[in-house]
Amino acid sequence: MSLLERLKRLLGRVRRWKEAGGGSEMISCEQALSAVYEYLDGELEAGPREQVKAHFDVCARCYPHLRLEESFRTALRGASGSVQSPPGLRERVMDLIARSEDG
Amino acid sequence: MIAASRSNAPSSFEEEALPHLEAVYRFALRLSGTPDQAEDLVQDTFLRAYRSWGQYTPGTRAKSWLFTICRNVFLRQRERGRRHDEIVQRHAAARGGVVDLVNPLWRSLDGVDPEGAFFRSILDDEVLRAIDRLPEDYRTAVVLSDVEGLTYIEIAEMTGVPVGTVKSRLFRGRRQLQRVLYDYAVEAGVLPVASGTRDEEGHVAP
Ligand SMILES: [Zn+2]
Repeated sequence: MSLLERLKRLLGRVRRWKEAGGGSEMISCEQALSAVYEYLDGELEAGPREQVKAHFDVCARCYPHLRLEESFRTALRGASGSVQSPPGLRERVMDLIARSEDG
Repeated sequence: MIAASRSNAPSSFEEEALPHLEAVYRFALRLSGTPDQAEDLVQDTFLRAYRSWGQYTPGTRAKSWLFTICRNVFLRQRERGRRHDEIVQRHAAARGGVVDLVNPLWRSLDGVDPEGAFFRSILDDEVLRAIDRLPEDYRTAVVLSDVEGLTYIEIAEMTGVPVGTVKSRLFRGRRQLQRVLYDYAVEAGVLPVASGTRDEEGHVAP
């Protein structure tokens, strides 16, 4: 077998291995960071979601970024959820609807 | 003769719409800014929803349908009394320019907050005040996504814009909000001033 043929076969194996998601195949920091909101918002398909998750799981640079965005969301949810409707609002709404029925 | 029957019985209104009263109130409060206006908005919303209950498709998300009505009522009211400062704010937001992929805030917090827990240390009232200062379209997107958990498609349908616009409003709205909260934390002494310099707009540069 010529050297060229052996090289071609080797390259073919590397390509197939990569396509099969082999080894350290990982998306870049930029790709992970640019998808952080879609990831947190549950807007990614299963495949990309796993890739993004895999990156954040192991990347020391990006992980705090994810945590920061999570804490941001927790803060928004907590703050908005701390608000309660005024007492009797439900009754007043029901009453309004009932009165509108009477014409 | 039998009266034309509505596709949805009024009783289903109580079962499907009224359970969302709290969520609609939360949304109305963030839209209008004061409890009195929020209550008026909620009453208007539910009255309208009741009258057009026949148009609601059973099985779809009643919550998202109610939010749509709520926002429409709010926008119509605001048209009448549009305040100058909102227009100014709007332009300021549109000027946003290029946005960093890496959150500039995260750079400022690097080393100060290794756990990424920064935002949890801010008082609820401050967070709410910051939300209320966002331009309406950013505020709506952020509240519906972050607080109420609506999907991009639901928000796009509600606000009548493409999904791409929803994404960019969320991105810009979140970043703007984060910067306001960061500045507040520095002013309040919760965080030390970042070692970076400040540019002419007052944003901390890494
Ligand atoms: Zn990374």
